[in-house]
Amino acid sequence: MTNNQETLEGLLAPKRTRIQEFWLLFKKNRLAILGLVFFVLFFLIALAGLFLTSGHDPVFNPALIRLQEKLLPPLSTPNPNTLRPDEHPTLGFYLFGTDNLGRDVFARMLQGAWVSLTVGFVAVGISLVVGIFMGGIAGYFGQNHIRVHHILATCLLIAGAVFAVLGHVYPAALLVAGVALYILGMLRTKQPHKNGPLTSWLALFRMEAVSIDTLIMRIVDIMLCFPSFFLILTVVALLPASMYNIMIVIGLTSWMGSTRFVRAEFLSLREQDFVTAARALGVRNLRIIFRHMMPNAVAPVLVSATIGIATAILTEAGLSFLGFGVPPPHATWGNILSDGKRFIFDAPWLTFIPGITILLVVLSFNLFGEGLRDALNPKLRER
Amino acid sequence: METPLLSVQDLRVNFIGDNTVARAVDGVSFDIFPGETVCLVGESGCGKTVSALTILGLVPMPPGKVMGGKILFEGSNLLEQGEEEMQKIRGNRIAMVFQEPLTSLNPVFTIGDQIEEAIKVHEDIEPEILRQRSIQILKDVGIPSAETRLRDYPHQLSGGQRQRVLIAMALSCCPDLVIADEPTTALDVTIQAQILSLFESLQKNWSMSALYITHDLGVVANIADRVYVMYAGSIAEQGNTLQIFNEPRHPYTQGLLASLPSRSKRGKRLHSIPGAVPNPAHKPRGCPFHPRCQFTVESCRSRFPEVCDYGKGHLSRCPVLYEKQE
Amino acid sequence: MLSFIGRSIIQKIVTLFFVSVVSFLIIHLAPGKPSQIDPLNPKFTPEILERFRQEFHLDKPLYVQYLLFYKGLFTGETVSWKDNQSVLKKIWERFLNSLPLFIVGTILTWTLSFPVGIRSAIFRGGFYDRSATFISYLLISVPGFFVAYILIILVVTQLHVPVFGMETFGLQMASWPTKLMDRVWHLLLPSVLGATGGIAVLSRYVRSQMLEVEGQDYVRTAKAKGLPPDQVHYKHALRNALLPFVTMFGLILPGLIGGSVIIESIFAWPGMGRMAYEAILARDYPVILTVNFISAVLVLAGTFVSDLLYLVVDPRIRL
Repeated sequence: MTNNQETLEGLLAPKRTRIQEFWLLFKKNRLAILGLVFFVLFFLIALAGLFLTSGHDPVFNPALIRLQEKLLPPLSTPNPNTLRPDEHPTLGFYLFGTDNLGRDVFARMLQGAWVSLTVGFVAVGISLVVGIFMGGIAGYFGQNHIRVHHILATCLLIAGAVFAVLGHVYPAALLVAGVALYILGMLRTKQPHKNGPLTSWLALFRMEAVSIDTLIMRIVDIMLCFPSFFLILTVVALLPASMYNIMIVIGLTSWMGSTRFVRAEFLSLREQDFVTAARALGVRNLRIIFRHMMPNAVAPVLVSATIGIATAILTEAGLSFLGFGVPPPHATWGNILSDGKRFIFDAPWLTFIPGITILLVVLSFNLFGEGLRDALNPKLRER
Repeated sequence: METPLLSVQDLRVNFIGDNTVARAVDGVSFDIFPGETVCLVGESGCGKTVSALTILGLVPMPPGKVMGGKILFEGSNLLEQGEEEMQKIRGNRIAMVFQEPLTSLNPVFTIGDQIEEAIKVHEDIEPEILRQRSIQILKDVGIPSAETRLRDYPHQLSGGQRQRVLIAMALSCCPDLVIADEPTTALDVTIQAQILSLFESLQKNWSMSALYITHDLGVVANIADRVYVMYAGSIAEQGNTLQIFNEPRHPYTQGLLASLPSRSKRGKRLHSIPGAVPNPAHKPRGCPFHPRCQFTVESCRSRFPEVCDYGKGHLSRCPVLYEKQE
Repeated sequence: MLSFIGRSIIQKIVTLFFVSVVSFLIIHLAPGKPSQIDPLNPKFTPEILERFRQEFHLDKPLYVQYLLFYKGLFTGETVSWKDNQSVLKKIWERFLNSLPLFIVGTILTWTLSFPVGIRSAIFRGGFYDRSATFISYLLISVPGFFVAYILIILVVTQLHVPVFGMETFGLQMASWPTKLMDRVWHLLLPSVLGATGGIAVLSRYVRSQMLEVEGQDYVRTAKAKGLPPDQVHYKHALRNALLPFVTMFGLILPGLIGGSVIIESIFAWPGMGRMAYEAILARDYPVILTVNFISAVLVLAGTFVSDLLYLVVDPRIRL
């Protein structure tokens, strides 16, 4: 009988894990594989770039200026008579030529690879953290309401912070004390006490103002009202120029998409039986979110993250192009291109090399992301 | 003997997936004679719908692919017809009523548009007569105040009404053959009965043939002249309704009938067939039913069973029971 | 219906209010003061700075500044810090310059991406579909300014046509056909460039919408009626696939400002985007804030229009 049972089970479906299934589907998409290969290659090059171009005496020095060697086309050899021995390019020739200051473009591109990668990953990381957090709350706790006392407490806290920043110690201390009192009060009211003169007052404070979902989605609406590139440009222009500011700003202006994804996914997952079952078993909210819902919601987020990295790299290049990018000691592909634009007729490689590199990298991220989407989403499979 | 209106002979349809080939229809043959109601019965996933869609050339290709066989409609092979000839046959000579009334009507056009369109493609007809005919046909399928309903959009109708509209659309050109693919599955039980009797009376009145696809043996007993029982892409047993219900000759048919609730079995545990329908991409060797069959012998595992003739058109693909019978 | 419109308008106004607050805060809380515009400029003596601060209410508390600014905006009194011109008048002039670019770009985008996307969907998996897919990825992935430079090299070196600015300097006396051609040439490159990204994205979206709809049951019903393929695709499928694009139609309004910064500054096109860029460079807060406010208004008006359009075209939505 057991034998028979096994044949029965075995007939129903081939046994493959989800990952195998995914890989089999993904393999079909030749463009996506190409994207993946480029992706890995780019990652390795960027990593190598970090080690080869940093430190005290880097293998490839991106900052070394050789004015006598400026604007040499790719693959040209240096003139040994005019250079000191330590100024020779590591490869013995300029693979990608030199720029207007005689810097080795190859070394600069290597350094830029790491910068671009970091900008892309950190910016998307920030936007994912914010997006998943907001979307998760909106999707899972969305039906809960924010009450009047929550708003008042937040106002107190903000006012306290403002006073503290402005240096008024006493009002700040007073407000902080108020917040502390409030928290104590919250803990007290956990125990129900029905009668008493305070109840009607408390009822006013406990009035429901707005649901969390509405609040978060309105915030998303507000953020979407800003023209994103213009907003990034404004903020980056106002802040002191630094690589980190750019990452943070790109991240903080691009989380709305993943918020919407995660919210929609959570809303539909919430209704599904396995979540109801988990809740019926008394599983805690956090565990339901991270153990049961997150793995199911992660696929679309992953896809949008991959494509988000591509977009972030493009945005950084655009900012660099306008002169608001990562500031000078770092070479980025955007500012190599931007510097090169003045020599577009004399030294076209200064435009083409970073341009084509950006194109290839962004393209590979996009293709990889789309391949992921197709393979992760069985509904779209036959398309 | 008269010639069949539609004769499907050894039809084979494969679905070519990413890494697999699913033999959805694997050597199916059946005949439909003029004026006859034929039922195709089987569990979901056994290839009933695909067979029906293949008749009209509506299987999406790719991934579908017809691997062999013939579909003779009045003597001409539909599989060899060009797209334009098929357009003249679809709706006009062979019409189809689909399973999901909720999604089978286009949400952005009115009921009237959709019915009139079905007539207009096949007939050159004055607008005024066209309108009259659509109203008449809506009345025929039992939709009250048909004149105003014509201007409604599908979402304004209930599920049962939408199914009536779909039937009206299918019958609007008086086809010779109507294929109904589980038209009542998505509906409430009370409405099922209404639709079923409507379908039957219209079909008899207009002397159309019908291919009725269902998994519901109760429906079969009500309307069928002849029955084809399908399992895993091939016909397991065929015969007229009495033969199938009274003297089932295939273990699968027997299992299906045994699992029907009935008054005589009151208080007893319902029978169920162990296991499930095999995945069309991984069918067992030999008789496709052998892993679930209680009569399995060694030859079932290796050889595809041949047809055994019980006379009077009653055929079954189970040599084991045939031998026992003798 | 009316209550929907009313609610929607109120909601949009509330959103707009928050947008105005947030953008005001972003600008004013960021480090760096407008009074530091140009420390090297010898004309910026402390006295002038002080007068400047008073003139533009920079000595008042933040909320007063906020109220005064938006009061000025609505009464049309706000002036640019840079040249003391009225902001609204300035924006209007630049808007008129941007408009042809925007119109040509939008027409190109919408007329090209639909045929491409629909054809891709109908012949999916074929050579046409695969090449269209690849090209649109290429267009999405390429930095716009890079393409701009390639095109400039091509046009300037091969065709010897000047492309920078809105017209060639010194052609005022030329005959009108020459002037017209000159205008067209100047318009063509930036608007094609502005449209490429849009075409790529939109045609992909059209394709996926079409595919989604082609898989629906009612398309099968239409085929089963015996309709010819053209009617199946272009009547039954397309009508449904078009629904979401009606909403996108409202969303092209904000494109007037957002995407054109880079293109306009490459081609020295005196439009809105370039003005915004210059305002950012000069820390000309009134201009930045006004542009931001107007674009938020455009976004909200766009979504409002698309909601209304959706009501009209989708029979399933009745309020």
